[in-house]
Amino acid sequence: MDLIANLALGFATALTPMNLLLAFIGCLVGTLIGVLPGVGPIATIAMLMPLTLKVDPTGALIMLAGIYYGAQYGGSTTAILLNIPGEVTAVVTAIDGHEMAKQGRAGTALGIAALGSFFAGTVATLVIAAIGAPLTKLALLFGPAEYFGLMVFGLGLAIVLARGSVLKAVIMVVLGLLLATVGTDLETGQDRLTLGIAELSDGVDFAVLAMGVFGIAEILRNLENPESRHVAVSKIGRLLPSLDDLRRSLGPVVRGTGIGSILGILPGNGAVLGPFASYAMEKKLARDPSRFGKGAVEGVAGPESANNAGAQTSFIPLLTLGIPPNAVMALMVGAMTIHGLIPGPQVMTKHPTLFWGMIASMWIGNLFLLIINLPLIGLWVRLLKVPYRLMFTTILLFCAIGIYSINNNPYDVYFTAFFGLAGYLFIKLGLEPAPMLLGFVLGKLMEEKLRQALALSEGSFMTFIERPVAATLLALAAAIMVIAVLPAVSRSRQNAFQE
Amino acid sequence: MRQDFLGGLAVIAVAAFAYWMARNLPAGAAGGIGPGSLPKALAALLGGLGVVLLSNSFHSESLARWSIRGPLFVLGALVVFGLAVRPLGLVVAGPLAIAGAAFASSEVRWRETLIFGGLMTVFCIGLFKFALGLPIPLAPWLLGY
Repeated sequence: MDLIANLALGFATALTPMNLLLAFIGCLVGTLIGVLPGVGPIATIAMLMPLTLKVDPTGALIMLAGIYYGAQYGGSTTAILLNIPGEVTAVVTAIDGHEMAKQGRAGTALGIAALGSFFAGTVATLVIAAIGAPLTKLALLFGPAEYFGLMVFGLGLAIVLARGSVLKAVIMVVLGLLLATVGTDLETGQDRLTLGIAELSDGVDFAVLAMGVFGIAEILRNLENPESRHVAVSKIGRLLPSLDDLRRSLGPVVRGTGIGSILGILPGNGAVLGPFASYAMEKKLARDPSRFGKGAVEGVAGPESANNAGAQTSFIPLLTLGIPPNAVMALMVGAMTIHGLIPGPQVMTKHPTLFWGMIASMWIGNLFLLIINLPLIGLWVRLLKVPYRLMFTTILLFCAIGIYSINNNPYDVYFTAFFGLAGYLFIKLGLEPAPMLLGFVLGKLMEEKLRQALALSEGSFMTFIERPVAATLLALAAAIMVIAVLPAVSRSRQNAFQE
Repeated sequence: MRQDFLGGLAVIAVAAFAYWMARNLPAGAAGGIGPGSLPKALAALLGGLGVVLLSNSFHSESLARWSIRGPLFVLGALVVFGLAVRPLGLVVAGPLAIAGAAFASSEVRWRETLIFGGLMTVFCIGLFKFALGLPIPLAPWLLGY
């Protein structure tokens, strides 16, 4: 009954007035920024990170998690009302959600999204609480070679799950790994690839990179497609779904939660697949698949639940193994490092209140989202009517202040501009930045583990073959890469993402 | 020009540049790998991938139109903010960034931008400086902080 004791400890931490307030503020401002078109969760978190600098570590992580859920939900709102998905996972929601909005059922779509997400969040919280402890024990048995193998496996998955060509995804991962080598060498203290710029000797800051290629580049992209958005939705309609809608949504929500929870645990951003898988599944199971794409409530309920479940269970690799499975979790690593915490299995044993408090706050955050969003929909709609020329300048100023404040360093702002330009080039060249970010995130840790493993084996690469767990993980990584480039699979992979 | 042709060239250029920067880093001896091994190996791998991308570029999409105005003013505004924030403070850097960025859109309106830039700066000062207590300079030349 450790689980109950742990959750009790967690709720005791998360329910203090201060932490409740932080979770509430996090959800509120996360939604506020996340609802802006073109601002996804990554940019939102990077922008709002300074809000948490003066808070104690537990409170900061609770608030950041709240910001994350808020940003996700805000993204769904934009997807439904404007047909502008803020990130990949909201693409699916936009299909039927926006159709519903056009039919005057925006309120129902938003309501079902919120209810489904709440259910998914509740289940995912329990999943994390249940498997967090055993996985942590497992992680403590991992040596550097196993860690290295696991990260290679994660990168392999990220490549397979990326949209577009496999070659381009590999290129972006390698570029990310290369970017991660910039800065002082861990063992010898030599400057590497810094061009003599002193500000680069600590390496490239992840928040800077993420803000550049996601936040700034997105502004540049939006400026090129002027005002295609308009809130066509004149009426939101009733928020509470009818009994019929609820009945239709029940199955999709439960199945979506299941799919999303499982995929979210995978290293290498498995969560991104959840909404797609859920949508495809509901369409297959539906008695009348032709309703999909024309405003089927199941097409919102399933993917939204999968999305939220995956968003939450993706905390598992981070909290138990210390390996961030996606860019958002990498920002969490950044936030933890600022507060002097090293993510990994030791977090749970050394900081139990933080660990369980954060898990409990996930559920509370989901509850807040439900409470905040349903009554505030009108406000978000009005916010969406602000012209883009005012919106992007504001976003840019927030970005600048946010990035400057993380290290109080103007160079970070210049680097952000540089990576914004790089992100703009990526868009033009059809290169997806997400695999690069993951490569960058895992790069430092991978090099460290690789060199530790080789030091232990006295330079022999055989260690990766002789140790069964490491060998299995590396073989799995190789296998999924090979499968991904097989013509038949790569064709169905294209279809899966186009659907 | 084909998208992947330029993409391949860009990737090769980045790889070559990285390899050149890493050229003097020791690759390490037996019993471990040195600081230079990984950057060089990754740069070489990246260059190879770039060649593959380039050589298969014939069927890729053609490049979309580029714009100069957006990137120039948006990125320029960021750089101006970075240059101004320490010596001049948020009081100056904020409106400068907003006004500069506003020109990135063809819908720029003078009076609106000035008023809006001022209001947003006041809001940001209230939020970041006073509510959150972040050590961002306000107006060092006037207030001393």
